[in-house]
Amino acid sequence: MADEAEGKEADKKIVHIYPLIKHTDMTEEMRTEVVELSVSACEKFSSNYELAAKLIKETMDKKFGIYWHVVVGEGFGFEVSYETENILYLFFAGNLAIVMWKCS
Amino acid sequence: MPDPPKKEKKKNRTSKTKLGEGGGGGDADDFDAWMKSRQLVKPDDQLDLTEAELGEEVIKVLTPTNTNVVRNLVVYSFKEGEYVSAPLPGNTVTLISFPGNSLHVDSEDARRQIEESDEIGYPLPMPNYSVVEQRETIIDGEEEGEGETDEDKPDADGKQSPGPGGGGGGGDEEEVEEEEEDEGKGTEGGAEQETRDDEDGGGAIAIPGGGSKKRKLINQFNYCERATLTYVNPKRSVDTQTIPPSRSQFGANVLQWVIYDTYQQDFDQQQKQLAGSGSKKDERNRTSRQKKFKDKTALAKQLNAKYLRCWQILERMINQNIFDDIGMDYRYWEDPADEYREGEGNLLPLWKFQYEKTKKMNVTDIVFNPSYYDLFAVCFGSHDFLKQPNEGYLCFFTVKNPSFPDYIIQTDCGVMCCDIHPNYPFLTVIGLYDGNVAVYNIRENCKTPLYVSRGNKCKHGECVWQLKWGPDMTDGEINFYSVSSDGTVFNWILMQNKLWVTTIIRLYLEENGTADGPDGTKVTLRDGGSCLQFHPTNPGVYLVGTECGFIYKCSTAFSSKYLMTYHAHNMSVYRIDFNRFNVNIFVSCSGDWRVKVWEDMRADPLFIFDLGSAVGDVKWAPYSSTVFAAVTTEGKVHVFDLNVNKYKAICVQAVVPKRKNKLTRLAFNEKLHFIVVGDEKGVTHSLKLSPNLRVMVKPPKKQLYLDQTTLQIAKLEKLLSLVRELPEGEVVADAATTVRS
Repeated sequence: MADEAEGKEADKKIVHIYPLIKHTDMTEEMRTEVVELSVSACEKFSSNYELAAKLIKETMDKKFGIYWHVVVGEGFGFEVSYETENILYLFFAGNLAIVMWKCS
Repeated sequence: MPDPPKKEKKKNRTSKTKLGEGGGGGDADDFDAWMKSRQLVKPDDQLDLTEAELGEEVIKVLTPTNTNVVRNLVVYSFKEGEYVSAPLPGNTVTLISFPGNSLHVDSEDARRQIEESDEIGYPLPMPNYSVVEQRETIIDGEEEGEGETDEDKPDADGKQSPGPGGGGGGGDEEEVEEEEEDEGKGTEGGAEQETRDDEDGGGAIAIPGGGSKKRKLINQFNYCERATLTYVNPKRSVDTQTIPPSRSQFGANVLQWVIYDTYQQDFDQQQKQLAGSGSKKDERNRTSRQKKFKDKTALAKQLNAKYLRCWQILERMINQNIFDDIGMDYRYWEDPADEYREGEGNLLPLWKFQYEKTKKMNVTDIVFNPSYYDLFAVCFGSHDFLKQPNEGYLCFFTVKNPSFPDYIIQTDCGVMCCDIHPNYPFLTVIGLYDGNVAVYNIRENCKTPLYVSRGNKCKHGECVWQLKWGPDMTDGEINFYSVSSDGTVFNWILMQNKLWVTTIIRLYLEENGTADGPDGTKVTLRDGGSCLQFHPTNPGVYLVGTECGFIYKCSTAFSSKYLMTYHAHNMSVYRIDFNRFNVNIFVSCSGDWRVKVWEDMRADPLFIFDLGSAVGDVKWAPYSSTVFAAVTTEGKVHVFDLNVNKYKAICVQAVVPKRKNKLTRLAFNEKLHFIVVGDEKGVTHSLKLSPNLRVMVKPPKKQLYLDQTTLQIAKLEKLLSLVRELPEGEVVADAATTVRS
């Protein structure tokens, strides 16, 4: 019994923090760059999601043209229209979801 | 003009003489006084002539020639590069000419114009064409007549004047309209109308000038001359619109458990991949490489097949051209001699089929394909025990290509017989000299057999002499029967992956069937089978010819007993064939030179024919119930028609030279009137049957509705009744009567 419990606990303890792309239609090149950017932003402002989102948005606007929208949070729902090849839905650090899309 | 001065002189002279005379008379004073008042004026340069000179008679001749005409006028011709004499100007002097555009109503031109006006559908009032009016007058500048009125003068400038009856008030307007008429013919309709209205009063009608062209009827109400219109440039919009970048919708809910589940899923997948990747990678590479290779070879094969097909067609075309005369003979040549010789026919040699590699082999069997009437299979092996080749062939020849076989099957020992399945014309079974059988699917490949007998027990002990496809078994399995000189008849069933063999009968000798073995045992003696023929309507019954000269009637149901034994021949029976129209009649041939016709369950033959040498094959004709053909080792083909001659062949023809070659097998084409015979040199000859060899039955007048099959059956029945009537004991159609003279 004790073993079993221990095993379960060990299972549960595994916490994944790597960035996991849930949905995207970006090009390969753009995707890697964007993931890198969001990871660094979230690590920089790990306690303030607003700042993280702002940083990502501003960088994206500079790099890929204006009208980017970024959401960073732990729990929310969304329904957006976006210009194709310009969306990324990403999980990060085990409890964070980042959505970014471009729409003018 | 030299004449006038002379005249003058004459006058002067006469006046002078008068003067002289007058001076002589008295009362001439008054006259003289009156005369003196007239002073003679002499020109200064007048010649003073003597009296004699003055008295000379000068004759003046008037000629019709115009001396003013220049006769030696030349013109430089640029074409010929020299001066050429110009044509003489005529003597006519034109004083005045009045070209006009009015025509006489009865003239040819007027008639044409009226017709045209009819064509344009524009009504011109016909009945008023009475007076011809001059509308345009051009007067020669020099010769302008004084009689011309002032009104006419503008006409000389080329303008048209209104008609004489026209009102003066409308003159200007009309002129303008007339000018328009000259420029654009389109307006003429309207203008013409008006002028005519004006001229109606004068009883004259104007016909539009230059009216030999057709003209279009135009709208007379709001027609607008093209020349009066200005261009209206079409409007164009200058702005452009781009396609907006495409958009899509996406939505999701972010919850902690969603994030967790996604991570878990992804992690599991990663683990699996890690575990699998190590072992699978190599295999995948290998299989993919193999696949690629296979794909390539398959592609190449397909391409080759396509090319092969093209070449085949081309080859056939070439052959058709080469053998054109034979082809024509085959289709249309009917021997005209047949009309004059009663009851005799002949054979016309057509193509010869041979294959380079089988030149020294014997033709051991010929079978026509049941579905494709031009295709036939020829087996190549050897009938000579001592000269067995270590290869054999089965070639499918077609009449369409006599130069090369369509399909070739090669085996490692002589092919002795073959049969083509009646329902599956691509299934061919061959029997080999070593006792093996093999089934080929011609459609798929000719290299490897679909089935082949394997092992010691699952084959004949000796040469396979004949094969026959049987009807499908109750559960649909395809099967065939084979007979061999080891004395057995086998039934072979094509199972999923092998041949299943059953012994149907082991042939034994009925009389003196046992021999004393060692230690007082009895050994049953065997007979070797040499041919096999199934009953056409009852598939359970078949005939086996043996090497001892018997024909046994057997049943596939049991093997202990023969249904019937015919003491047929003294030597090996080579072939048996059932009649196509009467299943109770069959014919057999043998090495004892004889061909015998049998009736079912009758111990004695109905007919015996002696052909003078071993008979290799005999076949009933498919078209007639009384015709059969046989080939002999003498190289002759014998064709019999029992209806024509019961004692002799109606055609005996040598096909190959007697000493060098022998004929072995024969087959009738099922549809067309030719036979193929095989010889010992590997050549298959095709021969066309002359009309006398294929006479059909003429229906009696009262029974025209009967078809040929019924008639053929009746014919044979009639013949048989004649033969059967003979008393039992007597030998029918004794050999003595049929021995060749």
